[in-house]
Amino acid sequence: MQERNSLLNKTKFNLKDITDNSVFSSFLSALLAIFLGLIFGFIVMLVAAPANALTGFRLIVLGGFRRIGDVFYFATPILMTGLSVGFAFKMGLFNIGASGQYTMGMFFALYVGFMWDLPDSIHWIVACIAGFIGGMLWGIIPGLFKALLNVNEVITSIMFNYIGMYLVDMLIQGNSVMYVSDKTRTRYLPAEVQIPSLGIPNSNVNLGIILAIIIGIILYIVLQKTIFGYELKATGYNRFASEYAGMKGKRNIIITMAIAGGLSGLGGAFAILAPSAIAGSSMTYEPINIIAANGFNGIAVALLGNAHPIGTIFSAVFISHIQRGGTLASLVGYKPEIIDVVIAVIIYFSAFSMIMNSAFIGFIKRYFGKGKKDFDDNMDNEIKEAE
Amino acid sequence: MEIVYYLIQNTLPVAIPLLLVALGGMFSETSGVVNIALEGIMLFGAYFGALFVYFVQDLGLNPQTILLLAMLVAAVAGVIYSLLLSFAAVNMKANQVITGTSLNMLIPAVILLFSKMYFNSDGVTTAVNFYIQKIPVLGDIPVIGRMFFQKTYLTVMIGILFLIISTVVFYKTKFGLRLRACGEHPHAADSVGINVYKMRYAGVTISGILGGIGGFFYSVGVMDGNVNGHTGVAGFGFLALAVMIFGQWRPGKIFLASLFFAFLRTLAYSISLIPFLYNLGINQTYYKMLPYVATMVVLAFTSKKSRAPKAEGIPYDKSSR
Amino acid sequence: MVKVVDMGDYIIEMLNITKKFPGVVANDNITLKLKRGEIHALLGENGAGKSTLMSVLFGLYQPDSGEIRKNGQVVKINNPNDANALGIGMVHQHFKLVEIFTVLENIILGVEPSKMGFIQKNEARKKVMELSEKYGLRVDPDAYIEDITVGMQQRVEILKMLYRDNEILIFDEPTAVLTPQEIRELLQIMKGFAREGKSILFITHKLNEIMEVADRCTVLRKGKLIGTVNVKDTTKEELSRMMVGRDISFSVNKKEKKPGKVVLSVRNLNVVSKIHGKNVVKNVSFDVRAGEIVCIAGIDGNGQTEIVNAITGLEKPTSGKIMLNGHDITRASIRERSIRGMSHIPEDRHKHGLVLDYKLEENLVLQRYWQPEFQNRGFIKFDSVRKYAEKLIEKFDIRSGQGPVTIVRSMSGGNQQKAIIAREIDKDHDLLIAVQPTRGLDIGAIEYVHKQLVERRDAGKAVLLVSLELDEVMDISDRILVIYGGEIVGELNPKTTTMEELGLYMSGAKRDVVKEINDAGEE
Repeated sequence: MQERNSLLNKTKFNLKDITDNSVFSSFLSALLAIFLGLIFGFIVMLVAAPANALTGFRLIVLGGFRRIGDVFYFATPILMTGLSVGFAFKMGLFNIGASGQYTMGMFFALYVGFMWDLPDSIHWIVACIAGFIGGMLWGIIPGLFKALLNVNEVITSIMFNYIGMYLVDMLIQGNSVMYVSDKTRTRYLPAEVQIPSLGIPNSNVNLGIILAIIIGIILYIVLQKTIFGYELKATGYNRFASEYAGMKGKRNIIITMAIAGGLSGLGGAFAILAPSAIAGSSMTYEPINIIAANGFNGIAVALLGNAHPIGTIFSAVFISHIQRGGTLASLVGYKPEIIDVVIAVIIYFSAFSMIMNSAFIGFIKRYFGKGKKDFDDNMDNEIKEAE
Repeated sequence: MEIVYYLIQNTLPVAIPLLLVALGGMFSETSGVVNIALEGIMLFGAYFGALFVYFVQDLGLNPQTILLLAMLVAAVAGVIYSLLLSFAAVNMKANQVITGTSLNMLIPAVILLFSKMYFNSDGVTTAVNFYIQKIPVLGDIPVIGRMFFQKTYLTVMIGILFLIISTVVFYKTKFGLRLRACGEHPHAADSVGINVYKMRYAGVTISGILGGIGGFFYSVGVMDGNVNGHTGVAGFGFLALAVMIFGQWRPGKIFLASLFFAFLRTLAYSISLIPFLYNLGINQTYYKMLPYVATMVVLAFTSKKSRAPKAEGIPYDKSSR
Repeated sequence: MVKVVDMGDYIIEMLNITKKFPGVVANDNITLKLKRGEIHALLGENGAGKSTLMSVLFGLYQPDSGEIRKNGQVVKINNPNDANALGIGMVHQHFKLVEIFTVLENIILGVEPSKMGFIQKNEARKKVMELSEKYGLRVDPDAYIEDITVGMQQRVEILKMLYRDNEILIFDEPTAVLTPQEIRELLQIMKGFAREGKSILFITHKLNEIMEVADRCTVLRKGKLIGTVNVKDTTKEELSRMMVGRDISFSVNKKEKKPGKVVLSVRNLNVVSKIHGKNVVKNVSFDVRAGEIVCIAGIDGNGQTEIVNAITGLEKPTSGKIMLNGHDITRASIRERSIRGMSHIPEDRHKHGLVLDYKLEENLVLQRYWQPEFQNRGFIKFDSVRKYAEKLIEKFDIRSGQGPVTIVRSMSGGNQQKAIIAREIDKDHDLLIAVQPTRGLDIGAIEYVHKQLVERRDAGKAVLLVSLELDEVMDISDRILVIYGGEIVGELNPKTTTMEELGLYMSGAKRDVVKEINDAGEE
């Protein structure tokens, strides 16, 4: 009988199936946050220079489509830092240290690129792996502090962003093989250390984006299908219950932070090892005591993607898309920082879009009536609990 | 002895912003709201303070008057910015760390945007000299006068005043008692008729005032009155959080903690003036890392028995008793 | 059948109060009238709507319809301040005390005597001391709440009401945390208040206490008013019928059973608290054998939690030895203990027992997900998990909206507890540790839990029960270990002992030199 009922339910169109679906609701909240962020950006543009606001806004929203190659190229590092932040977030850890890990990964990749003599065919691969290891080292530290000494990972990560940045700048400035002091930047990397390009004209887009997407899919499988993922999410939802169930919480914190750090580090490697469209040049690093912005953009990417690896892939591409649009908007006089404003506003709203979202879904439900019963029953139980 | 005077004279203007911002954090967190946005609030206050200075600097006002007025502007700016956090944390029950992070990201971008558009630079540069060679009378006291009342800024005196006021408000007034109750056990506060939402708004707003002023004092005491969107306040907001944790959410201890950090930083930037350390030949970058490393060392030792407000970071919901 | 005894001179009248929460009517048209100077009991099961009704009176909730009158005048109570202004005070079931504040600070919080915003503590201290003396409510005004006993914390709560000159006093389940002796003392104090003309609302589900002190009793069931009766005209049986809606048996059916071999043995256990660094478990030794239910009885906060944490591995003991089936598990990991045959129904099902945001099926394998039955090379076998969950749901009658895929957060407390019990009992085990397994459950669910525990015992498992409910302790255990101040102060046989005696041990008034258990008992 019960089986029949469930079969019947399957054949019926049920609004509740959609509104209760968590992927749907996080998608909805992401859209809401994006919408509000863009509106805010538009208002800023109106205030700044009303005449060009519409043109500029159109460039921001649609401009990226003219430069698909660049969109994917710039999406690569923030996708990696986004995956990093999202992965830690699933365990309830806020990896605000993606910047430091990213910078560390960059340095390790540079170091292997310049200082190690390796066969051409594997040089860039080893450099990428070095980047992963560099980031991992920098991610493990907050993990250790959290697991062993109960120090909040947010503060640790922030401190190690600064320590990492100063350290890398110092190490680069002190290395004459890597650093050209009169240009205050690193030398050009030899071509064989650069990641193979995808060959799209006028764009640096390279194999990195493909690798990053594959990594995203692997993370999805790890989180959804494996017992490690099961433990990780359980710990994120309820640390005490995971301990009660015999999971090694401390070990998992350290492993998670190591992986998260590695992902950011790989992002740094992908960024610095990217090929340059201009022959004979490469990406360079300038040691000017500034924290890497791509780490913080990773936070935006992860939050917008609801820390879901697949969602993060889309949100990285989206953020990169409006960043390209922002660069184009400077053609009509707007500074590209407008996009950073938009991104910050998007994060602000995505922090509480879940609440707006549930209000919105409640609204849909009230209006269409369907599924209300079950919703109420659930609430019923919650109230009982509260008593 | 010269070096001792020098270090003290230079430590205080650095310690004061840390002190004020950490006190702000204390008010916010003891009301129950984690305020990681202090970095952003500082920068916002600093920027508006500096903007004010920029617009009045040619009017021929006394520099110390300008400082006081700009301080008020910075406080108002800090309050306005902090309202974004209160709204998210109290009304929308949002994740406070994420909200704070977004506020920290927003403000440098806004500063760069507007500065590039209106000043064609990365920030705002002012030309008022707030430096005080010697305060009359007090500056003539032997030893102490030279340590505390010469080659200094008015910010130091004001900062100490704020410390005293904060301590009294925190411990001696009914406002302070109620505020602390809200961060510790909001349901208990609610049950005796205290409006937890209002108190949390109050706590965050005070952190806005102190954060904004602290930011401006940073730009005065550390950056010579300039504010820049790229370097911002160089992580001072975060350091202040560490100072607050090190100070165990208590005004007196926070004061000592801020002196400790400020001293380390001053030391780091004065290496070339201290022959003993200079001759060691250690790369100066190590000294720059010192405050951050010291933070970690200190936290490693204090976090195990941390007495953070019990309800901090948890949105208050009347119905879930 | 609503019968209301009507006699005039009411100080508070709650008329036709209805309070709905989304989807549930917590109070459905309830009328309650409180006479001046009476003790009026409010009786009902968990979830009957007692707390909601009192929260309405105290201004924490607004009713959707109905009105409240004081002395015949309609009043509007929007928040606890309004309630306070009307002279209404409340001792909450979970004390509303700020732990890092002193007794005095807690009493004056919200009504601080002040000049220009500055608190005048001396003035307050004087008044508190006067009240404390007048009513025999001994407290140290400068002690911190975290350092004082539960009994003293309750006195602080009562002083909070007196300090505010409240004349209508609400006591929400005040006896749950007290020993029988303390309960008697409290009931005397309540009678004293009533003699003075204060009016008392006494929320409880304990019939004995109602019979002892209350003048009248209002019974609620599932949000509805069942009736108000004069206590002297009624019986316990009638009250319980009104409360539950059917006859209930007060005793558990239990066969004689001879205990078998020692399953758990604890020797000289010492635990230092993580919170305040004091030794909270002192030299505790005991055995639990196969086929017996051993109960650790005591007032909350006397070291029970720490003993259980040490046995289950959640906390590390400072010294001592714990053996399970002859294996030393003192330093073993939680997982190892589980494999060696330990099942654990935790004290706090939301904190430890469940991942509330996981599906029911994911929670049902929480202790077993890593076993070959459910995983293959690190990948979860979702089919097996689903099948297993369906089996348990059927066997243990776990009710939920969507079966195995229900998010546990949306389930009722009783069914959440059933899920934990199903998981812990179905798992291979020799020892079942159950900590306050019936807390917050209604009578039907309590019966169910008790039945399961006794069944485990009859199946030859060792059962260690930690309970604060004396009825439960007396009804289902085979042996009672009384804990006081972190020490086992007595071992009692429930068949030969009385509640009174148990209470004396629990309050530390009586203690045996507990015979030294030597290690001969070990295998």
